[in-house]
Amino acid sequence: MKTALENHQRAEAGGAEAAPAVALEEVSFTYRSADRPALAGVRFSQRAGEMVGVMGAAGTGKSSLARCLNAIIPGFEHGRFEGLVRIHGRAVNGSRVCEMAPAVGMVFQDFEAQLFSTNVAHEVAFAMEQVGLAPHEIRARLGPALAAVGLAGFEDRDPTSLSGGEKQRLAIASVLAVQPSVIVLDEPTTDLDPEGRAEVFELIRKLRDRGLSLLIIEHETEEMRECDRIVVIRDGRIVAEGPPERILSDTRLLNESGIRPPGLNLVLDALGIEGYAANVDEAEALLRRALRVPARFEPEPDFAPLSPAQPQPAATQDTPLVEIDNLTHVYGGTVRALDSVSLRIDPGEFVAIIGQNGSGKTTLAKQIVGLLQPTAGRVMLAGRDRSTLGAAEAAAMVGYVFQNPDHQIFAGTVAQEVAFGPRNFGLPPDEIERRCDRVLKAVGLDAMRDKDPFLLGRGERQRLAVASVLVLQPRLLILDEPTTGLDYPQQRRIMDLIGELNRAGTAIVIITHTPWLVAEYARRAVLMRKGQKLFDGAVRDLFRHEELLATAAFRLPEVTALSRHFGMVALNAHELAQALRGAL
Amino acid sequence: MPIYLYLDRRTFIHRLHPAVKILTIVGIFWSVYWVDNPISLLPIAVLLLAGAQLTRAWPNFYSLRWLFILVIFATTLTWIVFYRQGKPLVHLGPLFVSRASLEYGFGRGIKLAELLATSVLFLSTTKVEEFAFGLAEMGVPYRVGFAITLAFRLVPLFIDSALTVVQAQRLRGYDFDSGSLMTRVRRYVPVTVPVFMGALRKANNMAMALEARGFGYSARPTSYVHYEMRTVDVMMLLGVIVLAVAYFLIYYSGYGAIAPR
Repeated sequence: MKTALENHQRAEAGGAEAAPAVALEEVSFTYRSADRPALAGVRFSQRAGEMVGVMGAAGTGKSSLARCLNAIIPGFEHGRFEGLVRIHGRAVNGSRVCEMAPAVGMVFQDFEAQLFSTNVAHEVAFAMEQVGLAPHEIRARLGPALAAVGLAGFEDRDPTSLSGGEKQRLAIASVLAVQPSVIVLDEPTTDLDPEGRAEVFELIRKLRDRGLSLLIIEHETEEMRECDRIVVIRDGRIVAEGPPERILSDTRLLNESGIRPPGLNLVLDALGIEGYAANVDEAEALLRRALRVPARFEPEPDFAPLSPAQPQPAATQDTPLVEIDNLTHVYGGTVRALDSVSLRIDPGEFVAIIGQNGSGKTTLAKQIVGLLQPTAGRVMLAGRDRSTLGAAEAAAMVGYVFQNPDHQIFAGTVAQEVAFGPRNFGLPPDEIERRCDRVLKAVGLDAMRDKDPFLLGRGERQRLAVASVLVLQPRLLILDEPTTGLDYPQQRRIMDLIGELNRAGTAIVIITHTPWLVAEYARRAVLMRKGQKLFDGAVRDLFRHEELLATAAFRLPEVTALSRHFGMVALNAHELAQALRGAL
Repeated sequence: MPIYLYLDRRTFIHRLHPAVKILTIVGIFWSVYWVDNPISLLPIAVLLLAGAQLTRAWPNFYSLRWLFILVIFATTLTWIVFYRQGKPLVHLGPLFVSRASLEYGFGRGIKLAELLATSVLFLSTTKVEEFAFGLAEMGVPYRVGFAITLAFRLVPLFIDSALTVVQAQRLRGYDFDSGSLMTRVRRYVPVTVPVFMGALRKANNMAMALEARGFGYSARPTSYVHYEMRTVDVMMLLGVIVLAVAYFLIYYSGYGAIAPR
């Protein structure tokens, strides 16, 4: 029973300095239902103690690569497997997934699906029980594992009551307790808010300092700069690998591989400056040297400093689309999710609602769309009280796209899915047909109208969800985290689509945690904290209020932060480069 | 969504060996099974009330008060209608009430309430992991006990996702509330499909995460939860056996039945 663990430890002790922590030799894998390989002849090796980042677009083989390390491929996911995987010199081939647990720990994106217990201590004990550690040993390791992830004192808490960041740290603690030498983190922060992301990445840094070998899959480039090495995957092959300064400054490679280039490097590229900036200060130093600008840069006239007066949204003559008056919402008699919030949204606006989890963003959106009833105050849609509107009238006024598209997809074909809403409202068949055609073209799913929605990729399903709300022709479209779980090209595609809808006249409200989305797409921002509206005004004005953003744990996009060092507020790399070019 | 009833207190009932607690439930269920009349059910009710007091589990009983009231009333009324024996006190057309039917109906109501109260007491004092440990100690395979633990984790997740799906479809103009029962059941397809597909995806992720944590490594994993049989456990067990035998004797001697008059 103990043999796998002992073998592993013997192998580790015997050939520690000789064998790499991880070695993949010509590994190919084709999933049973797939027609092309997920991995095609991958050769990869990782030193003990090395932190390696794996990047690439969705569906290119990142997770497949990671899953070879603990035999999920081919032990759990079946298909055609070739090649050899070694952990500390010992061949993984033929092992069962559970036998790999003492050697390779794995943390998954879906934190709900990797917590099994009713309290934190049992959760950490779980894996140790499985591999047969003695109860006194389990008790001895519990405390240190929880302390390592900053959850000491949480022993008796119910895991479901923890925040996203805490849940993910708990998952890491339960992996750490078994003391594997390799830890794989497969998009550990994708579903977290900025605060949770920061917590998890701080923990990852600590793990590296403890000498663990880490393999991290991640979409956000900023976080990956701390890796020792980055591996870029495309179509199941490693197309590039090297230190972050080489990989992340190769804008062409990143673009071709579906990875968002770091904004700082885009600025340097645009100005033709050689070099790599690992943070805003380095970028500033590079720029100042190249541009020979004085310490205090004179900003362009249109980057005028903020007037101390509270910014007001542009008032128009039209009836506002949404008018919220002193709205309060209390959950379960005690939790004040919204506290006298007033808000006006005019036709054609593009508003981003930002703030930490639990700040009241989603409650606010659900109030607008009528999924919640106000505890106090009222919501007016186009001049009429929200509560007096029928379902059809309200749906033509405002549509809501949920964060997870899979919460609404059920029909047999893409076209039927889109037609579901209009059919419910009893529109005539030729009108339904006409609208479906138009909407499917708009979201780029025209060619897939007869396909089964469940066979679409995540990005396509997200666009289908947008289409099936859009087809009701709402004047305002609210999207809750429309880019979560998407890779960079998919994020761009959905946001460009939303931008086009906005230009065509639909007012947009997005709820998001992603700083660069706010900067590049929204014109107005509403910052929420603890149920109150902290700021409401132009995005550019919001970005001048760094202290305000800090209290809501919202980080400026790096390009904007860099532009602040030059006394202005730029929303994207292009804008900043343009402004600085004058100083060349 | 409060699915766990567990109350973190350190009373002696909390600290009983989980296997003893499981056997106590079995013993009480057994005792209740043999008797019908309210008088003979009374001692068990007294025991359960004492249990609630000792474990300070009243908050759970309070939050489930409507369920208890509903169970007692609905069952009593239903059985009064169907139990047509004895000398009628009231006999108006289909309505038939006798002393026997009143006793029988009320006895049934109390019986169900006692089964419910026993379960509430058990869940208030036992963590799911302890339940699984108790089952394992009684020789139930580890996987069966673990499946029960997992079910407790999954139910709130699925309820949560079902609520979101209902909201999403309602916003697309879907009307859940009209039509006959059959059309309503069929109407739930736009909810059941996404919930079911989501559950499948979740189950697959969970299975993967479980194996990655070593599930299956050993057929009998060690346990962080650990209980030894102590004197108090043995005494509890003896008490339960006495109770179970006593109730069987009550049944056997005919005292527990409704006297048909």
